[in-house]
Amino acid sequence: MKCLLCDSTIVYSPTWQGLLLRNREEPVCKKCKAEFAEIKEPRCGICGLPGSTLCTDCSYWETTEYRGCIDAGIGLYQYNEAMKTFLHRYKFLQDVELSRVFAEEVKRSLRKPRGVVVPIPMHASKLMERTFPQVDRLLDAAEINYRHFLIKSNSTQGTKTKKERMAVENLFAWNGEAVPKKILLIDDLYTTGTTLRQAAKTLKDAGAEEIRIWTLIRG
Amino acid sequence: MKELEEFLTGRIWLLNFTPFSKDLIDEYISGGLIAVSKGIGKDRVCARCLENSPQKIISFYCSKCEEACYYCRHCINMGRISSCTELITWKHPTQPPQKNHSFAWTGTLTNLQERASIKVSKSLEQNHSHLVYAVCGAGKTELLFVPIFKALQKGLRVCIAAPRTDVVLELSPRIKNAFPDTRIHTLYGGAPYEEGFADIVIATTHQLYRFQDAFDVMIIDEADAFPYSYDASLERAVIKAKKETAPVVYVSATPSERLLKKVPERSEIFRRFHGQDLPVPSFKPLWNYKKSLLKNKIPKKLADWVTDKIRKKEPFLLFLPTIELIDHSIALFQKLDPSIEAVHSQDPQRKEKVMKLRNGEVAGLLTSTILERGITIPNVQVAVVGADDRIFDASALIQIAGRAGRSSEQPGGDVVFFHNGIAREMDKARNRIISYNARSRS
Ligand SMILES: [Zn+2]
Ligand SMILES: [Zn+2]
Ligand SMILES: [Zn+2]
Ligand SMILES: [Zn+2]
Repeated sequence: MKCLLCDSTIVYSPTWQGLLLRNREEPVCKKCKAEFAEIKEPRCGICGLPGSTLCTDCSYWETTEYRGCIDAGIGLYQYNEAMKTFLHRYKFLQDVELSRVFAEEVKRSLRKPRGVVVPIPMHASKLMERTFPQVDRLLDAAEINYRHFLIKSNSTQGTKTKKERMAVENLFAWNGEAVPKKILLIDDLYTTGTTLRQAAKTLKDAGAEEIRIWTLIRG
Repeated sequence: MKELEEFLTGRIWLLNFTPFSKDLIDEYISGGLIAVSKGIGKDRVCARCLENSPQKIISFYCSKCEEACYYCRHCINMGRISSCTELITWKHPTQPPQKNHSFAWTGTLTNLQERASIKVSKSLEQNHSHLVYAVCGAGKTELLFVPIFKALQKGLRVCIAAPRTDVVLELSPRIKNAFPDTRIHTLYGGAPYEEGFADIVIATTHQLYRFQDAFDVMIIDEADAFPYSYDASLERAVIKAKKETAPVVYVSATPSERLLKKVPERSEIFRRFHGQDLPVPSFKPLWNYKKSLLKNKIPKKLADWVTDKIRKKEPFLLFLPTIELIDHSIALFQKLDPSIEAVHSQDPQRKEKVMKLRNGEVAGLLTSTILERGITIPNVQVAVVGADDRIFDASALIQIAGRAGRSSEQPGGDVVFFHNGIAREMDKARNRIISYNARSRS
């Protein structure tokens, strides 16, 4: 097997434990994997940012109309150089196969989700351009079941400043299907938190009672 | 020739990623001048890089097509090719207008270079491929100037391909100086767009993926690894980029057995242009060097060698087998001289650091194999630490040894292979160097 990231041949050092537990192929080599940095405690209880248990961004959000939209949350990895490269290849270069890179970790983390798993959707035209829904594919690779309750309208996020984005109108609409009480909202990357808060607010307005967020990367 | 035609002649390009407007391209497509083809057809072969292995041509559910598509992971860094992307080519290339090329090189060739140069020209006149088998420092590039000039005068399009960006960047100014009136493009990953039709293209082998039936003469510099056992698609790229009957000139200091068999027309130079012998490497045992370095101690023999070079103010290159070992050891060597720097393949400051060594701003460089070719530093001293490591095959070791003694002022130079047990490849390298020296005297 070749490493999906560096193309070097993955050498197995079979141990008894490995032989018993590992029956699937490793998608990336040890060296590449070591480049990613997991987020450890202490971290923000809402967005997962390493540092204090409530980050300044989230405490600001709690003074806005989005107060209480997100009940709790975690992010798995830091947005370091290796992760930037990964995301660039996955999303911008459209290397769908890279959805497998974190499959084991995603699976472990989402094994017993506290609520129905709901991915952040893509806008239809964006989906046509990218040719695959990147969040859904991360979950598919990890064999996690999920359901969609949201529809994304056209976004112009990239051109706006942070303030403008925080104040912008909600880009998510409810798709009309009965919303479960407890939801685990999934996204690949948390940057400003606007996307996840808008999505969470839409779901709460539609009847959800508890919303936790889960992101692969807390930027 | 219009700008679009100049750009597209001989190229195969992603429809959505050209330097031209979509409208302009559409106009030429409907006018029948540009051909459009599928990125990956039913045969599941990438039309750009010709990759066909199922490990690289991946099936996925495509949201655009709403069905299974394939995409190529092999050449994905150049923009993804999939079943539903389209590639464009210029349908009927016209002969570009005849230009006045001039030849401005004023140096002189040695007798050996001259003889090889004439042989290359002769092969090319007959459309035959040719192998220039010449030791490091034989002056291989210069002997190609006249054959290139003859090709240009006949209105032929010439490509000079090399495996690595460093080599391309080193060749480019030399070729441009020799042919000041010729339009020359230099292509490598991240290179800026250059306009017009280039009569000479200097490119990394990877960039050849983007050409098709383009070149009348193909020169492959540093063809040592050819036919690229580690990446068969590069060989296919060479074949695809040239016109079907175009001859290939392979240039190598250490050609593979396969290449020697494949190309019967050959010129050999086993003598450096300054006429002196190649430095023969000496072997010095350095037991458990890895363990010692990891315990933050430079083995005495190695420390002595480095200190000696620092004292004599001789620039040195120290080759180590892994980047990890370089990263770990650099601080230790900096204690001997704080100006010592580490450099490896992904280092964006690689060029600057090599220049610093050349200018005497740093005492020496710790490096991985990547710097083995394409640089000339007067009076450079060379040592390989762990020459028995698998990463150093005979051809790499010959190249590394060939860094030393390149200038006529200082044709000597120390070459040491520090080892943890003599490997066969080390013997092979030394024996070959000795035989080159012997053959050059006979
Ligand atoms: Zn890897
Ligand atoms: Zn937070
Ligand atoms: Zn390809
Ligand atoms: Zn498609």
